[in-house]
Amino acid sequence: MDAISINNARLRFGETAALDGVSLSIPQNKCFGIVGESGSGKTTLMRAILGLQKLDQGDIRILGNPLVHSRAARKQRANFIQPIFQDPAASLSPRSRIRTLMNEVATVLKEPLATTDERLRVILNRLGLSQSVVDKYPHEISGGQARRVAIARALLMRPSILVADEPTAGLDVSVQGDLLNLLQDIRRSEKITLVVISHNLAIVRLIAENAIVMRAGKVVEGGDVGSLFRSPREAYTRELLAAWPSITQAGPPARLVDVQDHGELGL
Amino acid sequence: MAISVRNLSVDYSLPHGTAHALRDVSLEIQKGELLGLVGESGSGKSTVAFALMGLLANNAKVISGTAKIDGKSFDLTKPNATAALRGRGMAMIFQDPMLSLNPVFTVGTQLCEVLRRRSPGSDRKTRIGMAEDALDKVKLSNPQRRMGQYPHELSGGMRQRVVIAMALLSEPALLIADEPTTALDVTVEAQIMREIIGLRDRIGCAVLLITHSLGLVTEYCDKLSVLYAGERLESGTVNEVQQQPGHPYTRMLFDCEVQIDRERHADASENRFTVIAGELPDTRQRPPGCIFNGRCDVSFADCAVVDPGDYPVGNDTEHSARCLRLETP
Amino acid sequence: MSGLVVTLKRICSERDGRLGLAFTLAILVFALVGPLVSPDPNAINIKARFAQPGLTHLLGTDNLGRDLMARTSVGTRYALTLAVMIVVISSIIGSLIGIVAGIAGAWIDRAVMAVFDIVNAFPPLILAFALIALYGKGSATFVLLVTVVFIPQFGRMARARAQTLRNLSFIEAERMLAVHPVTIVVRHYLPNVAGPIIVLASMNLPVVIAFEASLSFLGFGVQPPKSSLGTLIKDGFMSINQSWWPTVAAALVLAIATLGATLLGEALRRVIDPKTASVS
Repeated sequence: MDAISINNARLRFGETAALDGVSLSIPQNKCFGIVGESGSGKTTLMRAILGLQKLDQGDIRILGNPLVHSRAARKQRANFIQPIFQDPAASLSPRSRIRTLMNEVATVLKEPLATTDERLRVILNRLGLSQSVVDKYPHEISGGQARRVAIARALLMRPSILVADEPTAGLDVSVQGDLLNLLQDIRRSEKITLVVISHNLAIVRLIAENAIVMRAGKVVEGGDVGSLFRSPREAYTRELLAAWPSITQAGPPARLVDVQDHGELGL
Repeated sequence: MAISVRNLSVDYSLPHGTAHALRDVSLEIQKGELLGLVGESGSGKSTVAFALMGLLANNAKVISGTAKIDGKSFDLTKPNATAALRGRGMAMIFQDPMLSLNPVFTVGTQLCEVLRRRSPGSDRKTRIGMAEDALDKVKLSNPQRRMGQYPHELSGGMRQRVVIAMALLSEPALLIADEPTTALDVTVEAQIMREIIGLRDRIGCAVLLITHSLGLVTEYCDKLSVLYAGERLESGTVNEVQQQPGHPYTRMLFDCEVQIDRERHADASENRFTVIAGELPDTRQRPPGCIFNGRCDVSFADCAVVDPGDYPVGNDTEHSARCLRLETP
Repeated sequence: MSGLVVTLKRICSERDGRLGLAFTLAILVFALVGPLVSPDPNAINIKARFAQPGLTHLLGTDNLGRDLMARTSVGTRYALTLAVMIVVISSIIGSLIGIVAGIAGAWIDRAVMAVFDIVNAFPPLILAFALIALYGKGSATFVLLVTVVFIPQFGRMARARAQTLRNLSFIEAERMLAVHPVTIVVRHYLPNVAGPIIVLASMNLPVVIAFEASLSFLGFGVQPPKSSLGTLIKDGFMSINQSWWPTVAAALVLAIATLGATLLGEALRRVIDPKTASVS
């Protein structure tokens, strides 16, 4: 059984097709990358997978269960799939103490507070957060801590699938590795299926086993990351790879990548 | 003719003390050269640009610094020191092109305004012709139509092209590009960088590229200066710095950059990423010794005490770094 | 609690804020302490008609020799009680309706907005006459009326905020955790809608005070022998040839109350909601 399978997902926003017949299957206990530039539909696809965006057509299955937009189904799904949003600070309710946010999980799980607290202690420890962080408000902690708190909260639900939206966006290179290593650790220790949505090809290439490249609501190509990046079949994938700025030994004078000017989209 | 900035120091007054955002930063760019100013958030790289342009926030104060542009000297501690240069001598490309474009005027009006300011006597027809020509040069499709469009009708990449066209028309001696491609997709990024280089080749200006991306710098720049917590830790030609980083921070920064062709474990969960442990020092109270001391992997006792000078690296006179390990007794 | 101290400090950092706070505090003290230290407001003393302000009657007396200090302070207390009650009720109801409309969208949103439009289509005074005709004069009618008139204002503001919040990550994170919708509204929407609502509420206080005074002035508000600022002004107005003092005393208190509340509301807005404050 696949962790997530999507069959012919279609969604239009007015004139533009945000998702134009997307079909894919994401295997369990692996990391799956969704790569694309802005307007490719990768974020819309993520929101559809999370059940935050209804589709016009097509169906999505999470661990075999059809994704339905009812409260009961949402409640059940919360145990399987959790998001890590792009801006972690923004994914913590600004006027609630972190303890309140964590206790909400206990209420949802109908679990005794003490049990949740115990599990939280273990998770905070593993994420390198001090226990006192729960007494603070989100604006009182650093961006890096907020990111970890958001992850801790998602992990408290014991999901089998984590969906990370641009996990390294806005991070400096010197600290982004920390988060990526953490995701790698979680993935191994929790046997989690990790879905990473990113524009960063280099990172997806290293963190994911399988990936798709999206453009204008369609899947351009997909498959095993090793071969996808070594020998891409589609011209667009090659173009993306060629345009990726890399530390080359070629040195100056500036090496100009010959990028084909495919015009401006939509205008 | 070289463009230089000497001993630039900028303070920000904050509610809890004064942050010394830049301390004695010097840069030198030759005409026709692309200098990459690399730094992470909090390094003060944008402050350099704003101090040069005279666009610093109200709570900022230039403590020291002189700039030499087009043969003239400017005392940057004076308010509006470089006002006369804005537009003609210096042009700036921001990360958000909407900062340079007025949303209520058409692209054509704004381009012609640049020309009108530059040569007040010219007639309108010539100006329109030159503006269209500039749009064509930055590879904006259908220039005639673009002239009548408003900035909000264009995509991010197209707006950035318009800003580059404006710079092209004002023919500055120094072009400052502050993260010009950070908000853009990689394919557009490559195109925009190519336009910036095209602009430099056409008017022979010096370009200061401010970026957090080493990949971008090694790919497009001639020289490189590394900024960390308000200090310039290393400077040299891209080739030299890359082959023989003089400062541990530069080396670690290169290691952190995730390469598209890096060796990859078949089991993806085995792939690890490099991190520079520790946090940025508090620029309100600069600790003694080397600014990178707390995070350095090769520091020794003196590093916490002795403030390193700028030592040459290797045989290249242009390559220098602030690391005590380079000190020759 | 430190948030409150910071807010107060920032209000006091500018002249208008200090003035507003001073006026408001003065009126509050007047309304709370006044009735305790002055004689019975309804005690008639014909011998002391139109007495000048003095030691026995701090603000003088009216045409029936009733103590004006007592009557204005009771009237102020009455006006303030009504205003606070109305603003609190309408802001809470309005916020909840607005939030629900903003979250639900679709037909619920359209229906709510249509009702708001209908309510706002009637001038408040005309609506007041209609309600008085239906339910008779009295405080209950007044409270009902002004509450209904004010709900749309709060509702609209809450709806706009809720629509923005709905798409923010932290609300989506709550939804992904399947937290109960009521919890989400109460714990995560309400506190984040509260800022602008509190500002709007504080700016509506003087409006309610003035509205109550004008209805009472027209004779549709409080009924004699109870006193309200509006009836005091009216009574004083009727006998202004004999003594101008009663009118001025009541009008002055009304002016200070509305001015103070307005200045304080504006200052509060600059502190809590600087974005909208700079626009207008």
